[in-house]
Amino acid sequence: MMDYVDLVFLIMGISALSSVLFTFLTVKTKDLMYAVVFSSVQSVAYALIYFLLLAPDIVLVYVAVSVGIYPLIVILLVKKVGRYEVVT
Amino acid sequence: MDIELIKFMFMLTTISLYFNVAISLYGVVSKTNLVKKLIALTIFQDTVNMFTILIGYKLWRPGLLLQPPVLTDLSPTSETLREFVERSVDPLPQAFVLTAVVIGLAVTLFLTTIILHVSYHFKTVNVDEIGRSKRVYIHEEAV
Repeated sequence: MMDYVDLVFLIMGISALSSVLFTFLTVKTKDLMYAVVFSSVQSVAYALIYFLLLAPDIVLVYVAVSVGIYPLIVILLVKKVGRYEVVT
Repeated sequence: MDIELIKFMFMLTTISLYFNVAISLYGVVSKTNLVKKLIALTIFQDTVNMFTILIGYKLWRPGLLLQPPVLTDLSPTSETLREFVERSVDPLPQAFVLTAVVIGLAVTLFLTTIILHVSYHFKTVNVDEIGRSKRVYIHEEAV
């Protein structure tokens, strides 16, 4: 029988697993633009965990910083320095 | 309320955060591109913030229902205050993390500017090529 608390912890575990997957994809990929997108998806998973850990005041700051401002800065930087990671 | 499932999912969350620490530190150390190092460093920073939040978390046992840590009684007695302290999470790590997120944004902006200047100076952001060109420069000066 599923309870409310069970559901909270189930969603927390699933989003933690997906954050591991997206961290791996971020480190793995050679395209820096894809790396930024994967990193912000991982930040969405972290924001969900923050909310389920009863810290909604951090979610207000964290979503704006980590999904909004930070990919904007890094995308501008990637536009300047070149998109693809060169393997030597 | 299934205690085993809750314990398993909480353990799964903690172990996933440890895996995130491992993967992002691998990215910081092993990748040669500076932008990739920056992205991995921010993931590492967020994971450390998440550990700090996990310290302050407390699952409220007696009433089963997770309530927000807000006191709704306008004239609280000592009984309601004790019950409130039992069910509310610790706000001190949340205040720390709220500061750390904003400082982390400032550090990220600073590192972005440094990477941009390195890119203008060396025409690349690959640390191996930067080290090679600096070695060539030192060799030419010595000769």
